[in-house]
Amino acid sequence: MNEQLPGEPRDSFEERSRALFHESVDGLDFALRSRLTQARNAALEAAAARRTPWFSRIGVLAPAGVTAAAVLGAFLWLGSPLSQHAVTVADGQSNLEDLELVASADEGSGDAMDMLQDDIEFYDWAEKAANSGPAASS
Amino acid sequence: MPRFDTLNPARMVWDGPAPAPEEAVLEYTRELEKFLAEIERRAFRMAQVGLRDPDDALDAVQDAMLKLARNYASRPSAEWRPLFYRILENGIRDMQRRRSVRKRIMTWLPSAKEDPDHEAQDPLDNVADSAPPIPEVLMQGQAMQQLEVSLRALPARQREAFMLRNFEGLDVAETARAMGCSQGSVKTHYSRAVHALREQLGEVW
Repeated sequence: MNEQLPGEPRDSFEERSRALFHESVDGLDFALRSRLTQARNAALEAAAARRTPWFSRIGVLAPAGVTAAAVLGAFLWLGSPLSQHAVTVADGQSNLEDLELVASADEGSGDAMDMLQDDIEFYDWAEKAANSGPAASS
Repeated sequence: MPRFDTLNPARMVWDGPAPAPEEAVLEYTRELEKFLAEIERRAFRMAQVGLRDPDDALDAVQDAMLKLARNYASRPSAEWRPLFYRILENGIRDMQRRRSVRKRIMTWLPSAKEDPDHEAQDPLDNVADSAPPIPEVLMQGQAMQQLEVSLRALPARQREAFMLRNFEGLDVAETARAMGCSQGSVKTHYSRAVHALREQLGEVW
């Protein structure tokens, strides 16, 4: 019907309408051409952002994964329950000593009271510093 | 140097350096950009014939570009043209449907019917104007304007077939893929379009 081979002469009406159309395309003004270029760039950028192949994402994610695993391993090792337990025990012993000191002071032990009186200014300052927060310690 | 195993053709394999995936993506992105740059102005004018309004036509073309780039960029480049025009025609049809619905809603709105003072301000007066608001800069003479008016008067499928075959230069098979119909239907639509246009424009041209 209208199936034509390349180079085959076309109907004059079809030729004319085609030529008119292409003239109108060539006559598009600069502003419209610019908007079309912007539209094309926006489409390509949006597609590129979405089309990042999975294997390239692996390339980025693999080192990040190794680093994360190393950090997790270090955290588990250094912050393991064993080491926390050791710290807790040491803290417990220190607290016990403090308690003994206070208890002996309560009992009116002379040595302990003497020590407190010697450093009374220091303890006074330490108490004020502790109550006024970190700004006072500087 | 790429080498092929010539002893067993069934096992022929590429033995050269494989292109890096990023390079492959860049390659078809460049190819797609070239394709879109080559097609965009004609697509815009064809969309404008269907939609009249240049802004709507631009929206339709941009949407078609985006959908093609997002969903079909990895397809063989030979398939891009019919795919692009299929997306574009669907977009144009959607816009025309939305306009039609809007027109019906506006017609049934009580304020538009009851208040005669609102008749002059009816937005449909602008939308359904028979004189197309084509900027002067887009007109390529009286003949093209007449052709556009006549194309708009055609049934949508005939207009699509005529523009894809005659303006864009797609063959029957590509036009059939773009329109989502058989090659026989394309031939029928195209023939009827040419006949109707020739009847309308024959005397003027």
